[in-house]
Amino acid sequence: MTTPMQTFSRHDLTDLFRSLAERMAAEQSYLAELDGEIGDADHGVAMAGGFGAAARALFDADGGGQTLAQGLSLAASTLLNAVGATTGPLYASALLRAGQALGDEDRVPFDRLPGVVIAMAEGIAARGHGRPGDKTMVDAWSPAAHAARAGLAAGMAPAQILRQAAHAALEGAQATRAMMAARGRAARLGPRSIGHLDPGAVSAAALLDCLASWAEGQGRAP
Amino acid sequence: MPHSDAPPLRFGDDPLLWAAWLYYQDGLTQAEIATRMGVSRPSVNSYLADARTRGIVSIEIDPERFRALSIAKAMQDHFGLDDCLVIPSGGTGSPLIDRLGAAGAQVLSRLARSGDTIAVTWGRTMLSLANRIGRGGLQDLRVVQATGGTTAKIPWTPEACATRLAEALGARSIPISAPAIVSSPDMRALLMREPVVAEQMAILAQANRIVLGISSLRPESTIHSSGFFDGPGMQGQYHAAVGSIAGRLIAARGEPVDGPLEGRTIGVDLAALKTVPCRIGVAGGMDKVQAILAALRGGYVNVMVTDADTARAILTAEGHEDGPARPVAAAPAALPERVRIKKFLNRPQDAVNETVEGALLAHQGLLAPITGAPRALRAVDGARPGKVGLVIGGGSGHEPGFFGYLGRGLADAVAIGNVFAAPPPDPILAATLAADGGAGVLHIFGNFSGDVMNFETAAEMATARGIRVRTVVTTDDIASAPVDARAARRGVAGNVFVFKIAGAACDRMLPLETCAALALRANARCHTMGIALEPGASLESGKPSFRLGPDDMEIGVGVHGERGIARARLTTADEATDLIVDRILDEMRPAEGDRVALLVNSLGATPQMELYILNRRLRQRLRARGVGVHRTLIGHYYTSLDMAGVSITALHLDDELTALLDHPCSAPAWTQGGRP
Repeated sequence: MTTPMQTFSRHDLTDLFRSLAERMAAEQSYLAELDGEIGDADHGVAMAGGFGAAARALFDADGGGQTLAQGLSLAASTLLNAVGATTGPLYASALLRAGQALGDEDRVPFDRLPGVVIAMAEGIAARGHGRPGDKTMVDAWSPAAHAARAGLAAGMAPAQILRQAAHAALEGAQATRAMMAARGRAARLGPRSIGHLDPGAVSAAALLDCLASWAEGQGRAP
Repeated sequence: MPHSDAPPLRFGDDPLLWAAWLYYQDGLTQAEIATRMGVSRPSVNSYLADARTRGIVSIEIDPERFRALSIAKAMQDHFGLDDCLVIPSGGTGSPLIDRLGAAGAQVLSRLARSGDTIAVTWGRTMLSLANRIGRGGLQDLRVVQATGGTTAKIPWTPEACATRLAEALGARSIPISAPAIVSSPDMRALLMREPVVAEQMAILAQANRIVLGISSLRPESTIHSSGFFDGPGMQGQYHAAVGSIAGRLIAARGEPVDGPLEGRTIGVDLAALKTVPCRIGVAGGMDKVQAILAALRGGYVNVMVTDADTARAILTAEGHEDGPARPVAAAPAALPERVRIKKFLNRPQDAVNETVEGALLAHQGLLAPITGAPRALRAVDGARPGKVGLVIGGGSGHEPGFFGYLGRGLADAVAIGNVFAAPPPDPILAATLAADGGAGVLHIFGNFSGDVMNFETAAEMATARGIRVRTVVTTDDIASAPVDARAARRGVAGNVFVFKIAGAACDRMLPLETCAALALRANARCHTMGIALEPGASLESGKPSFRLGPDDMEIGVGVHGERGIARARLTTADEATDLIVDRILDEMRPAEGDRVALLVNSLGATPQMELYILNRRLRQRLRARGVGVHRTLIGHYYTSLDMAGVSITALHLDDELTALLDHPCSAPAWTQGGRP
């Protein structure tokens, strides 16, 4: 008897977003504190509020026969309208790309998940025109996407790839401390932005860590 | 001068003071002083020592230089360097590259010995060093190119740097007679077997000293102009790289970055570089902080030459804090900082909606809701057929911005975001539809990335519905970017004037293009700068958004509780006004007899009383410059929650702007009569 191939379903999407929302709520005050140093201190509220609203919307629509693409599109528009700001459009673009990557099915093989990281990174780069080294969330997403590509090329297991991506994102977020902001509100601080972590990169690393943990938990589940 | 062993009268009978004077001021030797004073030389020596311990003489080092010395020491300790030279940053005089080159030349001259083989990389700083080093009379020196050459059309090629340095030192110059990057690993292998190249590479391997530049990978850096990265998709291979040394790439922690170029590069590699006993890195500049930090972490440099600002930023990035040079007497205990600010709130997350609800009730005859869009409002006397619609918007926390500027002669509809967060596209679209009178709609908002993205999306959605939209992004905050980067500046309290000019133009039924052009002109002639005394406090946490010491003020703050461009000691009202006026006049360059409109704006917690005090000095300064004031707005017009502070805006008027400014309007925050 073979074990059934593990899949990622629309219901799993709801569960994943619940985890992401919980994680962002837990990080809210830390992110606000980081953003207070070089921004306007709203990043914690934006991330917690945005992912919280998206998680609720996904929960409410769960069981309604949505495809993964429809679910992620709902998450994108809910997050955008709950948040606005810079975070809203950037993560909305990321989630729309993730939806395109997963397509019009209500479940896909689990090994499609690393592709979501790559799609989200592309969505963010396309919307914000940011480059690595600008001291933005791109400094976490871009290394994560590279790690995901490398993991896929090496034929690693999905959860392992996601862990590797999360690790790369964390390293990237840490590296923003030495960067001078070239984009976003902190750019107006110029050299004074050096020495501070970028809150957008830190929250991205937390999201990716949460995604990896969620995937690892799925692997262990009976 | 008569010799006498009695001290001149002015020293009284204090031999310590006399000895110190002769030594430090007159520059005599201790022996000469002994003769002059009629005492023994050891006595003079002890007089001088006593003079220092008793504080008669205090030795003072120029603070800038002292700072550089202490930073150099911290760099050396933190990164385990053999030596470090930090030159003072900025100031007047020559550009940083020139001064770094001179400092690098000084270090190399000091360290170089006869018989050395010195490798040198390329770049602006290396050429600057080579141009500034003097011949030190050393013998049997060899200078060797650290890499192959390039054909890039730049003056600081590897060939030029090595040749110039060899000439200056009177050394034998050894080139690498091959390109730095060749077409394939096979070609590299082939070239390396060429006897000439092989011999040159063997000499490079004998280098006992290397002078190296450190390049950042930022778009403006040397590496991009040197031809090293040419070729499609090349940069994509190196996503982890943050810096480059001798054409080799390194990541944030200094690890080598491998990629297809690695096997095609001719020159010293990173492993070989680390075996060179003396590795002198010369680099500086804020854009290079990350790259230099990576080079230091990787141990590629053991003698560092940089400038104070760069070194400080590197240490800050490593979590090192500038301490005082020596323990100072404990300052009197400061008053406790405000740690939690009291506010009238129900649930913080309801604050924006409750604000809108209260505003609608307070301004019943002026503001109305838009059905289906809780975060968009319209003016009761707003859109009408044939009139260009004016839509404004932005985050909350700026009250009476933005809905306070809805009404006849001002804006027709507003989109309202969360606190300090741009509104999403949906309410902006709803506002646009509500403002549309068939003649097009003008969007005006401050220059923040979130506002730009969300308004852009909403404008596309409106265009898809057949509404013509023009956009004017305000950029009046002169402290937020230099004048040549005007487009990067924030839009702050000057918004109020830009809304007014545009609103009047729309009310006069001018066409869309004209309204937009007038708004652009008002923005270009608007100059704002702010100073904060206390940060605002977040609604969620009640905590201040940044820390400001009891005697500090923050200059050039924005309107979102974000920090400013610099911190300074708290001064008087007049001096604070001068700080702002100096900058505004510098940029505005008014002619005598020109007229302005003024906005003296509280950032939230600063009371009207202080605004009047500031306004008094503002008018003194303008009168002295011969500038007339046509109209003054003073009060809470564009706030930043409860930040204590002020912003001053001057709108440089011309006849057309004056007429539009005087046009009547009727809005919650600005009502004035006059001839319609």
